[in-house]
Amino acid sequence: MKSLLIIEAQKSPEFLERLLRVCRHRGFTVDSINAETANIKQSTHVTLTVCSDRDISLLTKQIEKIVGVTQVATLQQEQNIKATA
Amino acid sequence: MNGANFVVQALKEQNVSQVFGYPGGAIMPLYDALFDGGVNHLLCRHEQGAAMAAIGYARSTGKVGVCIATSGPGATNLITGLADALLDSVPIVAITGQVPTYLIGTDAFQEIDVLGLSLACTKHSFMVSSAEELGPIIEQAFEIASSGRPGPVLIDIPKDIQIGPSVTHHLAKLVKTEKSIDHKAIEQAKSMLQVAQKPLLYIGGGVGMAGAVKELRDLIKYSKIPSVCTLKAIGCVPHDSPFFMGMVGMHGSKASNLAIQECDLLIAVGARFDDRVTGKLDEFAENAKVIHLDIDTAEIDKLRQVTLSITDDLKKVLPAINTKLSITSWQKHIAKMKIDYANRYDHPGDPIFAPALLRQLAELMPANTVICSDVGQHQMWVAQHMFVDFPENHISSSGLGTMGFGVPAAVGAQVARPDNMVIAVSGDGSFMMNVQELGTIKRKQLPIKILLIDNQRLGMVRQWQKLFFNGRYSETVLTDNPDFVTLASAFDIPGESIKSKSQIDQALQRFLNSDGAYLLHVSISEEENVWPLVPPGAPNDKMMESVE
Repeated sequence: MKSLLIIEAQKSPEFLERLLRVCRHRGFTVDSINAETANIKQSTHVTLTVCSDRDISLLTKQIEKIVGVTQVATLQQEQNIKATA
Repeated sequence: MNGANFVVQALKEQNVSQVFGYPGGAIMPLYDALFDGGVNHLLCRHEQGAAMAAIGYARSTGKVGVCIATSGPGATNLITGLADALLDSVPIVAITGQVPTYLIGTDAFQEIDVLGLSLACTKHSFMVSSAEELGPIIEQAFEIASSGRPGPVLIDIPKDIQIGPSVTHHLAKLVKTEKSIDHKAIEQAKSMLQVAQKPLLYIGGGVGMAGAVKELRDLIKYSKIPSVCTLKAIGCVPHDSPFFMGMVGMHGSKASNLAIQECDLLIAVGARFDDRVTGKLDEFAENAKVIHLDIDTAEIDKLRQVTLSITDDLKKVLPAINTKLSITSWQKHIAKMKIDYANRYDHPGDPIFAPALLRQLAELMPANTVICSDVGQHQMWVAQHMFVDFPENHISSSGLGTMGFGVPAAVGAQVARPDNMVIAVSGDGSFMMNVQELGTIKRKQLPIKILLIDNQRLGMVRQWQKLFFNGRYSETVLTDNPDFVTLASAFDIPGESIKSKSQIDQALQRFLNSDGAYLLHVSISEEENVWPLVPPGAPNDKMMESVE
């Protein structure tokens, strides 16, 4: 199952490391990632596509626990991603 | 005031009076500030010992434990302690020195990327990159460590920031937003409890961490609901409570494991469906609806899909769901199972039977004694056969299962609670893993009692080799152990060695009545196993109860 996540977090040098580690450790493969930092807002915006047999909520709940994460949204699941690919 | 003095001042503002650690190059400015800074520091003899002493301190008091180490090897030696604290949700703040900022990334002497190392074994971690950050980071670290589901937080401080001028920081007044309780969910939980014929509480370590022991006991006393507990929740329910069956899971009581399989409503309270508890997950309480009460949203539906969850402070939730129950036949059944499957202490011959010895010790030890166990067979025997007054009196490495945990944890507990007896129960394998902490006991003249149960084996691994690896005892024979009484005496710790039942009574008296530290070395047969045992991959009602 593929899922598309949108994540907002406070800017910090190691945030992407934390995020990617959580994805791997919790059993999700990162298919694609785009990260942009808005210096004015001091925030990082990440668009992430992950793949796993596990329910996506197992990952999103763990991402929400990362200190500095302000928003996690699961935008699309597998069918929509295929349709728009 | 330099950065290091500022750190000590900030610790005092966080009401820290005691820290544990080991000095070294990159943390020397902080140790200079500690020299006369007004915070007590206990030198442990290895950074792992310092981390585990901080855990013992935190778990025996509910306060945040603080440990300090230098960069590089000092920091890497902390890692196992941080992982232990993460898996057991223990509030720890670890401070490490780092090479100066201008040397970071140059492979400088004793430089390691401790922030990177910490990602998998802390709740959060900080690298201080300027003097301005120091105050806010220390404040945040204590807040993160102790709030919600507690855990370890690391602060890595480069040496130049410790030496450089500090920047004034005023503690922010924390405005805690009180989450209103979910009344609808509470009513639903009460309704489910009232219609259940066989409800069962599955109590986890979260109860003690939430400070909700009184609320739990009130609920059990009023509703008379049967209960079981995890390793970390031992002490939450008085051991003689009528419908309490003790520990559940791989080495849980037979009554607990059968009750789990029979119940029709399971209320998990601050517990996380750990594999050592559930056995075969698909068949764990397979006929039960589940209510999950926990502070951590990520634990809900992680392993077991639940019927109802309430993510909130257990101190609020437990009183709210308290209700009268009409479950007489279930209570009678539980009471009968407790009698039918009670622990037995009959044991042939003169060799010492460790479960009986531990039971006798529990009956003799003073009220409010703290038991710190190591990891292995003796740890399970402690859980099965000893009893304590409160969860903060049973300190055991539950999630990570860290051999070598017992003695340094006892150091932390004894420093925290000098007026209570602290007993470290260890095995010959575990004891040797942090044996250097005998030096800490000597240095501080801590009156810790060490009960060392010695089967000259890595007993738990040996048991599994016997049961599941055709008796191929690969690297578990420790017949070349040192003479432990002589070893202790080298640290001015008196002790004695016993091996027969007839020696127990007098030895326990000397052990408990000794003024200072004491080592009671107990030789037992290597053939002794921990029973019952739920084999790997089996459901909890398929317990092995002997080798035959």
